[in-house]
Amino acid sequence: MKNVAIVSWYTLKEAMARKVFIFFAAISILVVIFTAVILGVTNTQSIMTGLPGKNNLPDIGFIISRLEVMIISPLAGLGLLLAIFASSSFIPVMLEKGNIDLLLSKPVSRSQLLWGKYLGGILVMFLNIALLIIGVWLSISIKFSYWSFTFLWGILVITFTFAVLYALIVLFGVITKSSMPGMMFAYLIFLILSPLLKLAHYEMRILISNDFWKSAADAAYYILPKTSELMGTIILKLASGETITDYQPVWSSFLFLTAMMGIGNYVFNKKDF
Amino acid sequence: MNAIETNGLTKIYSSAFGKKQVQALVDLQLSVPAGTIFGLLGPNGAGKTTLVKLLLAITYPTFGNATILGEDISSYKIKKRVGYLPENHKYPPYLSGGEVLNFFGRLSGLDGKYINKKIDALLDTMKLLKWKKTKVKNYSKGMMQRLGLAQALINDPELIFLDEPTDGVDPIGRKEIRDILVELKKQSKTIFLNSHLLSEVELITDRVGILNKGKLLREGTVQELTEKKEEYLLRVEDENKTLPENFDGVLITKIDSGRYSLKVPNAAALNKYIDLLRENQVIINEIIKHKNSLEEMFISLINESEKENVK
Ligand SMILES: Nc1ncnc2c1ncn2[C@@H]1O[C@H](COP(=O)(O)OP(=O)(O)OP(=O)(O)O)[C@@H](O)[C@H]1O
Ligand SMILES: [Mg+2]
Repeated sequence: MKNVAIVSWYTLKEAMARKVFIFFAAISILVVIFTAVILGVTNTQSIMTGLPGKNNLPDIGFIISRLEVMIISPLAGLGLLLAIFASSSFIPVMLEKGNIDLLLSKPVSRSQLLWGKYLGGILVMFLNIALLIIGVWLSISIKFSYWSFTFLWGILVITFTFAVLYALIVLFGVITKSSMPGMMFAYLIFLILSPLLKLAHYEMRILISNDFWKSAADAAYYILPKTSELMGTIILKLASGETITDYQPVWSSFLFLTAMMGIGNYVFNKKDF
Repeated sequence: MNAIETNGLTKIYSSAFGKKQVQALVDLQLSVPAGTIFGLLGPNGAGKTTLVKLLLAITYPTFGNATILGEDISSYKIKKRVGYLPENHKYPPYLSGGEVLNFFGRLSGLDGKYINKKIDALLDTMKLLKWKKTKVKNYSKGMMQRLGLAQALINDPELIFLDEPTDGVDPIGRKEIRDILVELKKQSKTIFLNSHLLSEVELITDRVGILNKGKLLREGTVQELTEKKEEYLLRVEDENKTLPENFDGVLITKIDSGRYSLKVPNAAALNKYIDLLRENQVIINEIIKHKNSLEEMFISLINESEKENVK
């Protein structure tokens, strides 16, 4: 456990040395400041009094949570794209000749090394997203004097979404020793496959006439992680405190994560360097 | 006790789809006694690095097994007592020399106050103390090598593997490294050294092994390997005296004035020849067994094995 913590800690340092995460942190801070300034000059009182169904107070909470999600959504998406880019080199760099030889000559097991890198990457993402979300949340909560803690769930959901894609990146990194394939596949899932498969599985399902393609799309939908639902409905519902009726996107994505890390760990333990 | 013991250790690398196979190490039997400096010599691609990687479980054997410090090589915990300087070692460029040592020290299980003291002491020995806070990307090649050695010693290992430790180091630095190794031996550590630099190996090792194409050709003390069986160097006082020749199988060749090379069938024949010289009032100043340099022996041994391979 201690070894995993040491490797994680130095992965954090590696991330700091890479400018991407600093860049993202800077953007987050800018957005938080921007939000605070905009809200500062806005007469929120008039917004509040102008709300429809004024006697129906819980609506304020709903609107605030939507506002919060609206502010962080594009940023969280950008953050994920940047994080995928930056973290895709963690494993290949570790596996470089001369570096991996040294690490393996220490009293550290291969699994500890891999999990250290994995958790370190997640830790970086967590800190970045926490900075963004807590910043936005504080400025909005202070302005409206309305404290809804459900929005903070976003930190965990976004970090989890990253963890799922990062597990895939780790597996590809271990197998190919290069950063490109994993990064590309993660982008493919996040930007194209997950949104498309969600459509094919729900909204557009009736448009698929052929039974074979229907089951193929279903299979792909269940196997691949549901990043678009995690970043969409799941965050929205958690943020506004609604009950989530279907946890399938969460647990099936978690299964994907487990499988990626399981295979990655197995391959890493067998590999010659 | 043996610090290293291998038993039929074999490594075959196969390329993708198994088209091409490289026998990097073949059926190796080797024992390295604890507390000695062992030098493994061999031309490029002989399998030296492969052997060290196998012993540290960086690569896995195809056949055979081995122990280090009495434990099977598959145990990663034993590496608490092992140090390693790989060839072409790389450190995270964003770390300083001190941070590199801190990282590897912690991974080796050290902690707290002890590690900082140890880092300063090692950096001092390696003449890197004033570079402690400099990022390693700004280190010169020789500095990197000395940092690598410090890294290999951070956990006070009992067994130290060094792959070309003096690579890229200037002559003075090399001498310093040799002195450090001799000092370590005095502390009864075992050192396993891979090298091309035979003259250097000759100076400090207790035993050497010669590896070519994955096979161990010869193993023994430097003395055993370099001694030519029945060849002696003779120096006499009177440079003008002609020595008796054609004596009972003894072959005498003049090297220069007063110095001769003697090839004899055995020691008894040599002694008889000495008797003859003294009967002839030849005053003998010196008679020593002729030695090859390790380099001469190495080259002829490798050449021989290449010839056999052709057959
Ligand atoms: N990962 C690998 N995959 C395939 N072949 C390899 C691999 N590593 C080493 N080899 C081959 O194994 C043989 C032994 O290599 P090794 O690095 O052990 O030699 P060496 O004695 O250390 O050489 P040098 O003095 O150049 O460092 C070489 O033929 C090399 O090409
Ligand atoms: Mg080598």
